[in-house]
Amino acid sequence: MKALAGIRVVDFSWVRAGPWATRWLGALGAEIIKIEWPESERGRLPSSTTPQHLEANLNTSGNFNDTNVNKKSLSLNVRTPKGLDIAKRLIAVSDIVIENFSSRVLRNWGLGYDEQRRIKPDIVYVSMSGYGHTGRHHRYTTFGPVAQAVSGQTFQSGLPDHPPAGWGWSYMDDTGGMYGAMCAMTGLYHRNMTGQGQHIDLSQMVASVPLVGPALLDFTVNGRGSRRPGYPPGNRAHWPGTPLTANYRGGPTVAPHNAYRTDPRGYNDWCVIVCQSDEEWRRLAEIMGNPAWAADDKFATIAGRLQHQEELDEGIEAWTRTLGKYAVTERCQAAGVRALPVQSAEDRVEHDPQLRQREMYLEMEHPALGRHKVQNAPFKLSETPAQNTLPSPMIGQHTREIVERLLGLPHEELQAGFADGTFWPTKRPRFPYQEEMLR
Amino acid sequence: MTDAASQSAPLAGPLTGLRVLELAGETGQFCGKLLGDLGADVVKIEPPGGEPCRRIGPFADDIPHPERSLSFWYYNTSKRGITLDLGTADGRDLFQRLARAADIVIETFRPGHLSSLGCDYETLSRQNPGLILCSLTPFGQTGPWRDYLSSDLLHMAAGGEMASSGYDETDAPDAPPIAPGGGNAWHMGCHFAYMAIVAALVHRTVSGRGQYIDASIHEACALTTESAIANYVYRGEVLQRHTGRHHGAGPSPRTQFRAADGNYVCALVGGRLNPRYMKELADLLDTNGMAGDLRDPKYQDQAVITENTSHIIDELVAGFIASLPAEEVYHRAQERGFTWGAVRAPEQLLDDPHLSDRGFWKEVAHPEFSRSFTYPGEAAIYGGSPWRISRRAPLIGEHNAEILCGDLGLSPGDLIVLAENRVI
Repeated sequence: MKALAGIRVVDFSWVRAGPWATRWLGALGAEIIKIEWPESERGRLPSSTTPQHLEANLNTSGNFNDTNVNKKSLSLNVRTPKGLDIAKRLIAVSDIVIENFSSRVLRNWGLGYDEQRRIKPDIVYVSMSGYGHTGRHHRYTTFGPVAQAVSGQTFQSGLPDHPPAGWGWSYMDDTGGMYGAMCAMTGLYHRNMTGQGQHIDLSQMVASVPLVGPALLDFTVNGRGSRRPGYPPGNRAHWPGTPLTANYRGGPTVAPHNAYRTDPRGYNDWCVIVCQSDEEWRRLAEIMGNPAWAADDKFATIAGRLQHQEELDEGIEAWTRTLGKYAVTERCQAAGVRALPVQSAEDRVEHDPQLRQREMYLEMEHPALGRHKVQNAPFKLSETPAQNTLPSPMIGQHTREIVERLLGLPHEELQAGFADGTFWPTKRPRFPYQEEMLR
Repeated sequence: MTDAASQSAPLAGPLTGLRVLELAGETGQFCGKLLGDLGADVVKIEPPGGEPCRRIGPFADDIPHPERSLSFWYYNTSKRGITLDLGTADGRDLFQRLARAADIVIETFRPGHLSSLGCDYETLSRQNPGLILCSLTPFGQTGPWRDYLSSDLLHMAAGGEMASSGYDETDAPDAPPIAPGGGNAWHMGCHFAYMAIVAALVHRTVSGRGQYIDASIHEACALTTESAIANYVYRGEVLQRHTGRHHGAGPSPRTQFRAADGNYVCALVGGRLNPRYMKELADLLDTNGMAGDLRDPKYQDQAVITENTSHIIDELVAGFIASLPAEEVYHRAQERGFTWGAVRAPEQLLDDPHLSDRGFWKEVAHPEFSRSFTYPGEAAIYGGSPWRISRRAPLIGEHNAEILCGDLGLSPGDLIVLAENRVI
């Protein structure tokens, strides 16, 4: 049994944030109909995640596969009257519409919320645009890094007296996708309880702002801005020699609180260690073999450790350099000291015993890519588990199924739609599975 | 209700009517806020004396006090609060009575703790088959790390955030991987927990039955690094860290530039350079007379563009940005269709008119201070069932009488006995 069994989603989304949203609705059991058009496709190409031995084409992006499991693909030119009519017929038999275009695109197609509601009165419509559908900058556009920059998130990461380090990826594509799924299911719950649909206007940039909440309250309540000496404090809770203030990471202001190099000092050979009390610090000193430096009185108190962090961190790193990051982790955690390794993707997939036991990465067969590990849900629902059931669709793979079986159009309509460019550009070569569906 | 009153009654949030019991510390309190701001009646259950995370700064007026933690204020809006010591038989009994009428319980105790109290899902659901209980813990309820200690920094390390974030060697030689700030390990865990809870709620509207949810913060973090896993799984690549931009299998053009006011601008240019873009870029740079040689017809040849990538980005684009304040660059670029942004400090957002247009900022009354304070608002505008902050974070035990007497029928005398015995 799946939580969203019987729910159908019309998914116009592309690139990452929207597809990441519908991926989870699919894992939870909704039928996701991804509407795509090869001439204006963004997400499958350009691909930097096609295996080296395969040609990069619309069906061989590894990242697309992981982002689009649990979906069906309908290739459809919505910018033609016939294509638009098919889209409307789909909305009429669906529960949710999701898209992540710029703010006026769907309305300009003639598929704004008013039209959707006319077709399906209780539709739940989630728009996931950069700046939202209202507000003077609704025409502005985002990628994850821009949303992170404009909302204050990028600023919160880095070393003092350096440029912001920010996030090394589109965190707000991942998180924007989460909000897309959260909005859709919340709207669905509300619909099930009241019978009412609605338009939910999600903005990637605006969704990023609540994630800097405590820093904003420090300003609105205390007048303290984040542009100040010692902030952000790198991996530390506080940068020595600067005024003691909160760092908004949460947890108490303590030392040690840092990343330390480990053996064999490769690019990702680092371990983080945090001691949140004198007791945790004493335990760490003991694991390190009670070196003479650690017994110095200046490290006996939290105040002393915060003040003498440079020396403290040097001493700890002299020890961590002698061990691998997993060995440091195991020794610390066995003694009740907070420590975990910095893990690359390879580490997570191959070496993390916790993720392995929890079955975070399970293999799935994809017709063009072969057998590969796909990411699973970080939660286990006892009655309705989220599971990956379908590999990502090849473009237009389910066009016949949707047009004929779901919408009930005759096979001749499908053939005519291929001939007139509704279901595939007339001049574009077809994939073998498309030839097959036209027989 | 009169007609006039019903017409003026505000629309209710989408989760109106749901009762949530929150037994959550720092790691899970944001999930309760997400539910409460969308209309659920969230009752935060704290140990007598208050949750330890009331001790996390910053504090109002820099006066450390459990009722002045701004972190606590922020993450506990739209909740009511009671105190209960679940280590006592009376406390457990009251909790179980509350759980009989609850829709959702969120708990962040270490694995096994709730069972040791006799309050596990099996026990609670016997009295209330519709109950949804979500355990949100650092590593989940099973596995070799389930009893490991954690913190935000630890999750950023093991989840992969740090391996992808940091500096180019030229910006910070020998720098460590940098953990993104802001407490986002907890955000990631709470987003996924929220999603699982609402999925269970939707299912319950059909089946009438609740369920148990085992959510893991480590897994949530490990899932939130965009293509890093795919780069490894499909190509065996381990990615390099770059200043303020995407990790990558190899070097990439920089995207973060210092503006005239010392602030930075995120300008995504590399990978977009083609003849049409060059004309648009020249127009943008010309708004401050900085187009340089960009209008030279030679740039209508893709090969010449590619050859001159460093000149275009590191000299012309960087020079243009260096000539104007960051906000000015941001708006000039966006108005011309460039997906660029200013790297702002959080406090600059209060001046953003777009957020004001969307009614984003909320005034939240704090009667103890005889004033209200400005809080950030909603990620999304729900057209038919609005998000709202219904109240400031609860004071310690603020609603003990309202809930224990009002809902469970205890007498004022009962409350006194419970207080004397440190149950509440």
